[in-house]
Amino acid sequence: MSKFLHLVVRNALRNRLRTVLTAGGSAFLLFVLVFMLTALTEMYAWEGAPATHLRVAVQHSTGLATPLPIELENYLRGEEISACAGHLIKLNWFGGYYQDRRNFFANFASDHKEWREVWDELSLPDELYKKWCSQKNAMVVGRGLAKRLGWKVGQQVTLMGTIYPVNPELEIVGCFTGPTPREEEQLFFRWDYLDELLGGRKVVGTFWIRARTLDDVARLKDLIDGHTKNSSDPTETMTEKEFGQQFAAMMGNIKGMIAILGSIVLVILVFMTANTVAMSARERVTEIAVLRTLGFRRSHILFLVVAESVLVTLAGALFSLGIALVLFNWLLLSPSPQFPVFLVEPGTIAVALGAAVLCGSLSALVPAIQSARRKIVDGLRYVG
Amino acid sequence: MSDPFAAAPSPSPSPAVAPASGPTREATVRVAAVAKTYYRDQQPIPVLENIDLTIQSGEFVALMGPSGSGKTTLLNLVAGIDRPSSGSVVVAGNDLHGMSERQLAAFRSRHVGFIFQFYNLIPVLTAFENVELPLLLTSLSKAERRKHVATALEVVGLSDRRDHYPRQLSGGQEQRVAIARAVVTDPTVLLADEPTGDLDKRSEEEVLVLLRRLNQEFAKTILMVTHDPKAAASAGRTVRIEKGALVAAPKDGQA
Ligand SMILES: Nc1ncnc2c1ncn2[C@@H]1O[C@H](COP(=O)(O)OP(=O)(O)OP(=O)(O)O)[C@@H](O)[C@H]1O
Ligand SMILES: [Mg+2]
Repeated sequence: MSKFLHLVVRNALRNRLRTVLTAGGSAFLLFVLVFMLTALTEMYAWEGAPATHLRVAVQHSTGLATPLPIELENYLRGEEISACAGHLIKLNWFGGYYQDRRNFFANFASDHKEWREVWDELSLPDELYKKWCSQKNAMVVGRGLAKRLGWKVGQQVTLMGTIYPVNPELEIVGCFTGPTPREEEQLFFRWDYLDELLGGRKVVGTFWIRARTLDDVARLKDLIDGHTKNSSDPTETMTEKEFGQQFAAMMGNIKGMIAILGSIVLVILVFMTANTVAMSARERVTEIAVLRTLGFRRSHILFLVVAESVLVTLAGALFSLGIALVLFNWLLLSPSPQFPVFLVEPGTIAVALGAAVLCGSLSALVPAIQSARRKIVDGLRYVG
Repeated sequence: MSDPFAAAPSPSPSPAVAPASGPTREATVRVAAVAKTYYRDQQPIPVLENIDLTIQSGEFVALMGPSGSGKTTLLNLVAGIDRPSSGSVVVAGNDLHGMSERQLAAFRSRHVGFIFQFYNLIPVLTAFENVELPLLLTSLSKAERRKHVATALEVVGLSDRRDHYPRQLSGGQEQRVAIARAVVTDPTVLLADEPTGDLDKRSEEEVLVLLRRLNQEFAKTILMVTHDPKAAASAGRTVRIEKGALVAAPKDGQA
């Protein structure tokens, strides 16, 4: 069939304005689709944590907003837990902002000891880590976040607290990198510094533990939750994936809504393209009859009509994906402060390309079958 | 999907390298007791009745008759793009009756070269690409296709126009490209429906000279519909059709 591709391309370019408008329409609609899917993947990014991950989170059973007692740390560092857990840190969601409330990013007060072992996918050079350990008001910032906010190492930054009534003044001692830009959109300062600012009240948001093996993950849950069950502060111990899912659950049935909106977008795409294909097919009735007189079979005609339609929608898809990738993945622009990064995933690219091929084929189906089935003599006698 | 083109037969050598062979007088086209009735709103419209026509290999036959007498219909039946209501059409030993759509397409590709009144070139393809079109249905390599197309364009005298689009050609040139497209696969029979009907005097003469040459030099079997007695004079024999039936031609074989 590749022998016929030049004919397909020339046919597509025959009515340039119409083709450009249709491809542009597909590009726009597919951009909307890519946008929605990317928003979805970003919202559920936490949920996407690999199930094989060894990190477990311990939070208060009534929810994240309730602090845990510091005494729990003694138990967690005890023999029973140490058998299954290699490393432990305290981690508080600080929820501060920098200069402007709309500057949203993740910022945590975290134990610096064992930080590297628990957050093992982040990498921070040794000497910078040492500096962080030696200086109480030091903080480490994700490379992407620092770049976005124009921060330099050595700079003093004041975070405005929203949850805690303190505004820590912090010095950037280094930038860490992560496997994707997403992990680089956060910062950590020292938990003991926050505690000092709060007057030594020992408020713990969560404990994060790195289990030794996957089996230990389940064992940790039973041990910790069992231990605190009848205390005044019962805990809920979760895998990282489960921890993320509680945020996803708060967002309600966004997945369902996006599925509906996405389907609507695709249906519009099919109708828009079908209109174009039908017009072209009507204009080429005689030509198609001529091709068949030359010996082209019905399957050839089907191919020519469908391939032309798919070519146009696919061109639209490539265009919109190109724009999206440049804007979001390369320039790291984010459409809303709600999303620190807005990364188009390979899965989203695949869905967009698949949708283009599917919609292109579906739109062409009826005109293609009509064209292929029309009797040659009727086609030759046809007057448009 | 499997490549449906792979199964298509490859043509025998290109026209220019297959000059007139000996006078093997066998029937290339045999139309026997053919009738064709169209239906419009369930009303039968009898177009052809009891047609018998035999064309020997290497013959050049003109088909004349008043408008609406069924000339195009008869040509279409021989070309295998329409089916008779009754009777049989045998072309190059192939009984078209009972052939599937797929088989008919392969038959047309292999045996029929069709020339239309209004040329019917594909406007988005160059002269070269238009002539190449039927060869895409064969298993010929790109280099072989190029050679065949070059030969066909040379025969019609348009080698220098190979990269021109149809709209950049005169009517006569377009028709010559269409003739090149019709002969490039070296078909068994050339069918032409008023090939000069839309041309001026000079172009008409060029096309007629070309068809005569294809018949005499390259032994092409030709069936040509025409209204023009002068065009018919190019043929070796004239057949007349009136109200769907063949009538005795007055002066058979006169040039
Ligand atoms: N597909 C069809 N459906 C119905 N009627 C048809 C069809 N094709 C041809 N006819 C009718 O059959 C008759 C013969 O048509 P045909 O085209 O064969 O005539 P023709 O001799 O080629 O005429 P012309 O010289 O005008 O080209 C006409 O009356 C035409 O209207
Ligand atoms: Mg006619």
